[in-house]
Amino acid sequence: MRIVVMALAVAMAGAAPAHAFKPTRTVEVVVHTGPGGGSDLLARAVATIIEKEKLLPVRMQVVNKTGGGGAVAAAYLAEKAGEQHTIGFFTGVWLTSPLTSAEAKVTLRDLTPVARLVLEPALIAVKADAPYKTLGDFIAAAKQQPGQLKQSGGSVTSRDNVVRQLLQKATGARWAFISFPGGGERIAALLGGHVNMMVLEPAEAGEHIRAGNMRVLAQVSDQRLAGFREVPTLKEAGFDVPAVPQVRGVVAPPGIPAENVAYWEDLFGRLARSASWRKFLADNQFEDGYQDAAELAKFYDEFTARMRAILQEAGIKTVR
Amino acid sequence: MDIASGLLQGFAVALQPTNVLWCFVGVFLGTIVGIMPGLGPPATIAMLLPLTALMNPAGAMIMLAGIYYGAKYGGSTTSILLNVPGESASVVTCLDGYQLARKGRAGAALGIAAIASFIAGTVGVLGLMLVAPPLARLALAFSSPEYFGLMALGLAMVVLLAGRSLVKALLAMLVGLWIAGIGTDPFSTTSRFTFGRMELLSGIDFVVVAIGVFALGEVLANMEARDEPKALPVPKGLRNLLPTAQDLRDCRFAFVNGSVIGFLIGVLPGAGSTIASFISYGVEKAFSRRRDQFGTGVIEGVAAPEGANNSETGGALVPLLTLGIPGSGTTAILLAALVLWGFKPGPLFIAENPQLFWGLVASMYIGNVILLILNLPLVPLFAQVLRAPAYALYPAIIGLSIVGVYTVSGSLFDLALLAAFGLLGYVMRKLDYPSAPLILGLVLGGAMERALRQSLMMSEGSLSILVSRPLAAAMLSFALLILLIPLVARLNAWRLRVMEEEK
Amino acid sequence: MFRRSPDFWSGLALVLLGVYIVTATSGWDYLSPEGPGPAFFPRWYGIAMIVLAAALMVGSAKGATVEWRGTGRALGAWAAIAAGLLLMKLVGFALGFAVLTYFIVAVMYRRPPLQSALMAGGMVATFYLIFTLALGVPLP
Repeated sequence: MRIVVMALAVAMAGAAPAHAFKPTRTVEVVVHTGPGGGSDLLARAVATIIEKEKLLPVRMQVVNKTGGGGAVAAAYLAEKAGEQHTIGFFTGVWLTSPLTSAEAKVTLRDLTPVARLVLEPALIAVKADAPYKTLGDFIAAAKQQPGQLKQSGGSVTSRDNVVRQLLQKATGARWAFISFPGGGERIAALLGGHVNMMVLEPAEAGEHIRAGNMRVLAQVSDQRLAGFREVPTLKEAGFDVPAVPQVRGVVAPPGIPAENVAYWEDLFGRLARSASWRKFLADNQFEDGYQDAAELAKFYDEFTARMRAILQEAGIKTVR
Repeated sequence: MDIASGLLQGFAVALQPTNVLWCFVGVFLGTIVGIMPGLGPPATIAMLLPLTALMNPAGAMIMLAGIYYGAKYGGSTTSILLNVPGESASVVTCLDGYQLARKGRAGAALGIAAIASFIAGTVGVLGLMLVAPPLARLALAFSSPEYFGLMALGLAMVVLLAGRSLVKALLAMLVGLWIAGIGTDPFSTTSRFTFGRMELLSGIDFVVVAIGVFALGEVLANMEARDEPKALPVPKGLRNLLPTAQDLRDCRFAFVNGSVIGFLIGVLPGAGSTIASFISYGVEKAFSRRRDQFGTGVIEGVAAPEGANNSETGGALVPLLTLGIPGSGTTAILLAALVLWGFKPGPLFIAENPQLFWGLVASMYIGNVILLILNLPLVPLFAQVLRAPAYALYPAIIGLSIVGVYTVSGSLFDLALLAAFGLLGYVMRKLDYPSAPLILGLVLGGAMERALRQSLMMSEGSLSILVSRPLAAAMLSFALLILLIPLVARLNAWRLRVMEEEK
Repeated sequence: MFRRSPDFWSGLALVLLGVYIVTATSGWDYLSPEGPGPAFFPRWYGIAMIVLAAALMVGSAKGATVEWRGTGRALGAWAAIAAGLLLMKLVGFALGFAVLTYFIVAVMYRRPPLQSALMAGGMVATFYLIFTLALGVPLP
C-alpha cells in the first residue's frame, strides 16, 4: 500500500503545477536605496510579512545597491541574468532614470516584470495660515502672480514635479518648483513659510494636519483615502488631470525560466491578498496597486510614454 | 507637563532594569559601530528594526538612540589611532587627534574625546529637554538663504585650516567642490562629470574619499620608510595615557564651543554632524591663542569637534521629536521606527507620549554616563593597539578601509575609487597640499550649491535674498569675521614690527 | 625642464583640470528660467581653480623641494593595493587580501616568508570572524 502511495506522490510531483520551482536558498532582494531608505524599509517590511504568513520556505536578504536613481540596482539585476534566487524592488525612479540619464542603461523592459504592489497617493498641502482654502484658490492666485508662488519637492523628475507640470498645463497657471533632497527639508520649507505649497505623502502629512499646521487642498489619487474623506480628489476639484501615483513593485533578472517567474508571481499575488499586507497598506496609507506581471509590463509602457511626454513638455531633456 | 515632573517620570521609565539593559546594549553597539569605518548608525539601526518590533517601544527607542550617540563616541577611536575616520563626522578629529597620537599622546587624545563627548552629549540632552519646542520653531525660519550663509561660514574655515600655503588650501577646497558636483544635478537632471559611468550618477560617497585620502594616504606615506619597527610611539606613563589637568584646562572653551555649536547645527534639518565638527573646529582655532599649532596636535582641536558631533545628536532629535521632521539619515530611520511601532511623530508627539519622550531624555543622560565609564578605562587598552608592529598594522588598516567602504556601497567600483583617492591622498601629502580643505569642500560643496540655487529660485533671481534676511546676513557676516581675524592678527603683528623698527 | 619645482607641475595639472571643468560646463545651461542652471557653480569654481593654479605656478619659482627618496616604495605599495583589489574582484576578499598582506609583510618589510604567510592567514581569519560571522557584513 505504501508503495502505491509513494508512487502516486512521485507521479503527482512529476505532474506538478507550473511552478515546479521552489527556492532552495536565501532569496536576494535588491533595493536601490541605502539601509533605511524608502525601498529598503519596504523590502524589509515585505520580508517580515512574508515570514509571518509563511509564504516562503527560505529567508529573504535585503541587498543594497545604491546609486544612480536605481540605475546601479537595475544594472546589477541585469547582470544576474538567469539567477533564480534574486529579485528586486523597483520604484518610479527606476522608470524615469533611463529617460533622462544616458548612463542608466537598464530599463524595466530589460528585466523580468513580476508584480506591481503599491501605489502611493499624495496630498497637496499648504501651510495652515495660507489664504488658499481650495486648490482652485491656489491656482487662481498663481495665475495672478505667474512664477511667484513656490512649491517644494524632490528632483525635477519626481512625482511632485510631474503633478505640477500636469496642473500647469491644464490650467495655464505657472509657479516655481524648488528641489530639496530630503523630505524633512521640504516640510520645513513649507512650515517655515519659505514656499507656498507642496505635494507630499499622507504618512508624512498626517501629524502636521492633526496639529493644525497644514491644510490639505486636494488629494492626488483616484479615490478618496480613508484618512481624508473630506478632501476632494483632483478630478473632483475640477482638474482634469490624471492622478500620478508613485509606484512600487517587484522585478526579477532577465532570462529566468517561466516556472521561476510564475513562482514569484504567485508569491506576491498571495502576499497582496494576505491580511497582514492589507493592514500594512492601511497603516502606511498606501493604495493597493497590485498588478500581475503582464499587467505590469503594459503599465510600464504606458507610464514611460506618458512620462516622456511630460518631461519633454517641461523642457527636460530626454535621452531615450 | 513641566520639566521637573516630566524628568522624574522619565527617570522612572529609564531606570527600569530592562531599559537600562537596552541602554547599555545600545551604547555598546553604537561604540563598536562607530569604531568600524564605513558602518554607521543608519545601517545598524535599519538592520535592527525587525528585532525592535518585539520589544517595548520605550526600550527599543532607548536602544536605538543609544546606538546613535554611542557611535559618535566610537568614531574618534580609529580617527585618533589610525587616521581612519570611523564616521564621517570624525574626519575633523583625525586632523589633530592623529597628530597627537604621533606625538605619543594618543591616550590623552582618546580621553579628551570621551570627556568632551560626555559634556557635549549631556548639554545636548539638556538642550533637547529645555528649549526644544521654541528652538524648533526658530529652526523653521532657517531656510536656503540661511543655509547658504552657514555653508559660506563653513568654507571660510578653509582660511583657518590653511596652514602654510593658502593657495594650496584653496585649490584643495576647489577640488573638493568639484568632486561634490559629480553626479546628477537634481534641479535639471543633467549628469555632471560622470564620464559616462553609471556608478557616478549619484556622485562619490564621502566615506570613500575620506578613507582613501586620510587612511590610505597615510599608510602609503608611511610605507616610504623601510625599517620602521613600530607604527606610532606608544604612550608611556600615566601622563600620556589619560588627559592631564592642564589638558582639561586648555579645553575649557572647546567644551562649551563644541556643545553649543553642535547642538544648534544639529537642530537645523539637513545640516549634519560633519558640518558641526568643522565649524566648531574652525571657531576653536579662530579664538585660540595657539591657533598656529592647530593641525599639529593641539588637544582642543580634538575636544571641539568631538563635542560638536555628540551634541549634534541631541540637536537632531529636536526637529524629529517636536515636529516629526527628520534632519538626517539616522533620524529618518528613527522616524520610520517610531511609525513602525505605531507612533505618530509630529507636533503633538511629546504632548501625547510624555513617557516615551521623557524616558528617552532620561535614558540619554544615563547613556552618556555609561559611555564615559565604558570609554575612559578602555582608552589605555586602545592605545596598546599602537604597539602593533608596522607590518601588522598597515595591512589591518588597508583591510579595514576596504571593508569599511564596501559595507557602505557594496560596489567594487567604489573600491577602485578608494584606491584612486588613496593615491591622491599620498600625492597631496607629498606635495604639501592640506587634505582637510578637500574634505571640507566635498562636504559643503553640494549643500552650498543647492542652497544657493534654492535661494535664487525663491527670490526669482535676486541675490539680495542672501543678505536681506537677518539670520542669513548674520551668518555671512560671521563668515567674513572669521576670514578677517587672521588678517587682523597679521596686520597687528606687522604694525608692531614697524613700531619696533622705528624705535 | 625638471628643475621646475613640483608646485609648478601640480599647478599645471590643476590648471588643466580647471580648463576641463569650464569646458564641460559650456554644454550645460548657465541660467535657466527657473534659476541658476547646472553650469553656474562649476563654471565659477573652475575659473577660480584656473586662476589660483596659475598663481601657484607663477609662485613656484621659489617652491620647496620634495623628498623623493621613499616614493618608489610608496608607489609600489599602492600598486600592490590596486592589484589586490583587482584580485579581490576576481577571487573574492579572502584570497585577494591574503595575497596583499603577504606582499606587504614579505616585500615591504622583509619579514621571513613563514611569518608573512601566517600574518596573511591570520589577518584574513580575523576579518572573517569579525565581519562576516559576528556582524553579518558582506565582504567583497
